[in-house]
Amino acid sequence: MGQSKKILVVEDETHLAKGLKFNLEREGYEVTVAGDGEAALEQLKDREFDLVILDLMLPKMGGIEVAKKIRETNIRFPILMLSAKSTEQDRAAGLAVGADDYLAKPFHLPELLLRVKGILRRWEWYKQPVQDQETFRFGDKWINFGTGKAKGCAGEFYLTAKEALVMKLLIQKKGNVVTREELLEKVWGYDPETETRTVDNFIARLRKYFEKKPQKPSYILTVREKGYQFEPEPSE
Amino acid sequence: MNKLRALFHPIIIFVGVQIAWIILMAVWINWYIKNSRKFQEFAQKFRPDLFADEFNWLILLEGCFLMLIILAGVYMIFVYWNKQANLNRLQSNFVSSVSHELKSPLASIQLYLETMKYQEVSKTDREDFVETMLTDTERLSGLIENILASSKFEPGRMQLQVQPVEMEEFIREVAEGLKRQFEERKCQVNLELEPGLALLLDKRAMRMVFNNLIRNTLRYSPIGAPLTIRMRKGKKYCEIDFIDQGIGLEKKDQKKIFKKFYRVQNPDTQNIEGAGLGLFISKEIIRNHKGQIRVASEGRGKGSTFTVALPLGKLKNPGSPSEQGVR
Repeated sequence: MGQSKKILVVEDETHLAKGLKFNLEREGYEVTVAGDGEAALEQLKDREFDLVILDLMLPKMGGIEVAKKIRETNIRFPILMLSAKSTEQDRAAGLAVGADDYLAKPFHLPELLLRVKGILRRWEWYKQPVQDQETFRFGDKWINFGTGKAKGCAGEFYLTAKEALVMKLLIQKKGNVVTREELLEKVWGYDPETETRTVDNFIARLRKYFEKKPQKPSYILTVREKGYQFEPEPSE
Repeated sequence: MNKLRALFHPIIIFVGVQIAWIILMAVWINWYIKNSRKFQEFAQKFRPDLFADEFNWLILLEGCFLMLIILAGVYMIFVYWNKQANLNRLQSNFVSSVSHELKSPLASIQLYLETMKYQEVSKTDREDFVETMLTDTERLSGLIENILASSKFEPGRMQLQVQPVEMEEFIREVAEGLKRQFEERKCQVNLELEPGLALLLDKRAMRMVFNNLIRNTLRYSPIGAPLTIRMRKGKKYCEIDFIDQGIGLEKKDQKKIFKKFYRVQNPDTQNIEGAGLGLFISKEIIRNHKGQIRVASEGRGKGSTFTVALPLGKLKNPGSPSEQGVR
């Protein structure tokens, strides 16, 4: 587990970068360090990575810009943001541009390593194809999990990384109940600041995309006191 | 709600008051000119002694004067509000920069301590980690010193403990203290120092100045860019140049960078650490030594040269430290 996974550490603080490299290599990861945003994008263009650990305050191009650039071409590529900015607004800004997780400096080493493991585990799970193909069709709608592009009631659009993860989990277990706890664990990695209500909000949003009548859903069903169930061929 | 708040913004209120004042002034002059004749005729029926026959300029001017006083009052309030708002903005920028400045070395120290706690570390790595942590503690202590020093630079509050300092040796010593930072940034340092120069300096304060200037050079230069420190004797001053090949400075920023909390705002530098204190403190220390600090740069991307000019003065007893207050 974790062997030979490739991590790109984007950090201009040389001491921190060196310490992160040392620890991640000890955990069996292959680590490359980039000192600024532009160098990070160059590395990402030239090589394949499984995760980017991205500092927010970077010379040449800031972390937020780098994350936006990554998301332009890859909806789901795992990003762990690291920053000395620790307010709620900073965290929200980081997550809004598509970071999978956000860790404020100074951080605890075991927590960082656990978060890296969690993100990589979710990435592994996400990479598994649904029904041997990237695009899943239901009715006249479809979702491409590779690009995040989807067709809903109002036409074609892009799902956010977390929306894509929720749909993927529901579709992988179609016909079976997926509990809120399972959704939280797999999509949010049990972030202590995420509440089960967040899952409900995401489901409400997804119903607006894919259901003709969101109040009377036919694909994404609520199973009382348990969770949610995806029904690809509704009886109606 | 935001629109309502924007409506009550002090600038909007200030502009509103100006417009209201101009209208009021116009109405007042217009009313007075139109009605003064009638007013006089009416008053003459009851108190003819009160009014002269001709147009009374005094009353018109009194009215205008009163309105001018109101305008001046509003203007004063606006000026002070503006100053306060600027101070609040600078303070908020400062807190944000300082917290970042404090957290980065702290995060590094914590990471290395936890590495030694949770991982098996070889003796060589352990020694390297300790050295790294020591550099981080130096960075922290430099920042704390800067913050403390910046609060002292009010007129008349600075007390220097001066002593004769052999400059060549002193600058070599400062550069040696930053050896690790030079290595990390792969910076080649060229020292071109005229020997045999001794000055009366507060050694601790001057070390802070040189450290600030050198650290700035490292921050604002690409990895591998060299630094030249050149010291020469002039007629009245000893001039020390710090010549870098960093990102340089535009003309408009060259004076402003010595202001407290000022930081150059552009995409190249927005993510570079700094609290906007180092150059302000350096300028104050140099000024208290009766010296000068200036910067020359041909523009963005062309490097910059910071020059510290310190008065040569006369050493009474070279070699024997003496304490003396310079103000």
